[in-house]
Amino acid sequence: MQPGSSASPLLLPPSTAFSPLHSPLRSRSHCNCSSPRLRRSIAKHRREVARAVTVAFAWPQMSEHFYTVASDSETTGEDKPQQSFPDVAIGIDIGTSKCSVAVWNGNQVELLKNTRNQKGMRSYVMFKDDTLSAGVTGAAARENGHEERDILSGSAIFNMKRLIGRMDTDEVVQASKSLPFLVQTLGIGVRPFIAALVNNMWRSTTPEEVLAIFLLELKALVEMHLKHPVRNAVLTIPVSFSRFQQTRIERACAMAGLHVLRLMPEPTAVALLYAQQQQQFMHDNMGSGIEKIALIFNMGAGYCDAAVAATAGGVSQIRALSGCTVGGEDILQNIMRHALPSFDSLYAGQTMDRIKSIGLLRIATQDAIHKLANQDTVEINVDLGNGHKVSKILDHSEFEQVNQAIFEKCENIINQCLIDAKLVPEDINDVILVGGCSKIPRIRSLVLGLCKKEISYKNIDALEAAVSGAALEGAIASGVTDSSGSLDLLTIQATPMNLGIRAGGDSFAAIIPRNTTVPARRDMLFTTTHDNQSEALIAVYEGEGERAEDNHLLGYFKITGIPAAPKETVEISVCMDIDASNVLRVFAGVVKPQGPAVPPFIEVRMPTLDDGHGWCGQALAKMYGKTLDLAVLPKKLQP
Amino acid sequence: MISAPLLRVSAAPNRAAAVGAPFRLRATASPSSGSRPSNVRCAAPPPAAAAVASSAVSTAATPYDVLGLRAGATAREIKAAYRRLARERHPDVAPGAADDFVRLHDAYATLSDPDSRARYDRGAVAPAAGAAQRPRPGWGAARPRRRTWETDQCW
Repeated sequence: MQPGSSASPLLLPPSTAFSPLHSPLRSRSHCNCSSPRLRRSIAKHRREVARAVTVAFAWPQMSEHFYTVASDSETTGEDKPQQSFPDVAIGIDIGTSKCSVAVWNGNQVELLKNTRNQKGMRSYVMFKDDTLSAGVTGAAARENGHEERDILSGSAIFNMKRLIGRMDTDEVVQASKSLPFLVQTLGIGVRPFIAALVNNMWRSTTPEEVLAIFLLELKALVEMHLKHPVRNAVLTIPVSFSRFQQTRIERACAMAGLHVLRLMPEPTAVALLYAQQQQQFMHDNMGSGIEKIALIFNMGAGYCDAAVAATAGGVSQIRALSGCTVGGEDILQNIMRHALPSFDSLYAGQTMDRIKSIGLLRIATQDAIHKLANQDTVEINVDLGNGHKVSKILDHSEFEQVNQAIFEKCENIINQCLIDAKLVPEDINDVILVGGCSKIPRIRSLVLGLCKKEISYKNIDALEAAVSGAALEGAIASGVTDSSGSLDLLTIQATPMNLGIRAGGDSFAAIIPRNTTVPARRDMLFTTTHDNQSEALIAVYEGEGERAEDNHLLGYFKITGIPAAPKETVEISVCMDIDASNVLRVFAGVVKPQGPAVPPFIEVRMPTLDDGHGWCGQALAKMYGKTLDLAVLPKKLQP
Repeated sequence: MISAPLLRVSAAPNRAAAVGAPFRLRATASPSSGSRPSNVRCAAPPPAAAAVASSAVSTAATPYDVLGLRAGATAREIKAAYRRLARERHPDVAPGAADDFVRLHDAYATLSDPDSRARYDRGAVAPAAGAAQRPRPGWGAARPRRRTWETDQCW
């Protein structure tokens, strides 16, 4: 059945028009205690949107299976449900600060605007009494000019991209404690508690829920625009997102009734857009092997990424990726603390006064940083109430000095990227600067300086590049072809981080090193560390640290029934496989000795861990670190 | 997974045909005059070699075979061949073809890095001799054991 292709859309009563939206939530009402609120929010949305679009927007005989949501273990799965609707996946860029959405309209990528004519919509969800509203429509803000102040009132949750899938020991979560809403941490490696202020009371929520509400509103906007339901989406994510964080994004999408077709590291989405442009420019040279190397540097409010892509004939190979969790938010917080040295003591503990005062400082500082991009000095002048005043003149050298550590991190990831790609600055043809922070003069000069370039690539919009690339990928992944060949593109992705297991105490043995082309399959041989060791623990980690504990724990399982043998004689193979859908599977088992006494191999899809990534790894190491340890089989013993 | 054993079965006769072709050509050419068309087909090595490389997606083939190149190919030819074949075999284009692409990429990784290519060219005989596959349970059974190229992550 293809409801969308029906020639005369049947007009349904408003109350049924959005009923499919219920089904994802109903099917996953187990997933957390807060879903009733989400359901209320949807009910409200249904009323509002139905009111707005009773004529323009109705689907004939929409059946519920349309919105069936894959279970968690299926969200990235290869068993993608058959599309019953000829729809093209939309591209979504969820920014820490702003969000945008784009679609392939048949000829080109089109960015959608909200009712306030914005392409970049503030990423937040406002909690008020029983109603929730996201920044897509900005309906919660009293008026445009006051939106920012309302966001900072404590009633809105924002920066969810910095919080999602992080533990309370994470420094990004710790830094989020100065935000106006409540971020409570216990520092033991579990998820933080976050809450919004509703009627002078903290009401709990989760980053996933906030993101889901936002995505729901975004989805409604797209559906109003396209006049048909939307199911599939390609989302961009920071390079430094762990696989666990990716599952959180997928869960939020599932809660909003969106199926994630791809999660694309942001700079690779930009690389795809670049590949398309290059293909158009050099149409005659297609397939001749003339390649162009681009370095893409993307810095937004929450994250900073770099990528090196080699492009020729519409094929974009990601040769290296690197990223870290610094962004405009850190710059903002540095400047706030610099302008008001007593910041931390003054704002310890959240009261209504302090929340309001901190909001005033934040707005003034943000404004100053934006202005400083185009002028030599800027004045921060704000009355914070209770007799506190900030009056400060800021110039570039001071700004750069205060944020020195951030600029150093940016340099590090670019250098890392070049080293990993085995390139020198002279090899780079184009430097592409994207993201809100790419407007900061120091960032521009830093990146161009490292790449030994005078100017950056001009044909890409810094704020629209990632979402445009995501929409292109959405069209390509949905099987859309274009007669002009502008969708005749391919991205060959690479893994952003090492994947491996714990071995030899707390060491980390990387089985799939970072920047390995995906799909990929690698194996490594391990051996026992004790005589007659019958069991071994396989703890799977992802990250850049040399010690296992410095990385993200993705999951763990045991190999049991290892035949009795002296230590270092048994061979245990651990194989990691990333398939075409970017799903990670770990296979492990005994390969020597052979025989009927050897237990079958174990296949585990990762990540398996849901929470408690911090203490879980420590507990495993403490309980089983010595007895169930494995060691990498020395090379000389390997066949 | 189901297709892998089939591929291996079909790869073997193809390889035999490729190797045996000149021999059979000489043997059959003189007695029968009616074999001219087949002579022509067998006597043209480049298309035959290309057919082996692309159709059988050879399991035990050399990296050169996988890329459909001769041993002396230039770096530019290697890149061009890799891109061309990636557009056919990448799972985004040919769903389910992850193994083909992994093999293609491994071949490219070996040949695109001058050091690893030199190492491969020097020891080209050794891996072929050692290619006798160890039986592997589960996932390994359907696939041959691959060398773990150390420079794999580099392009």
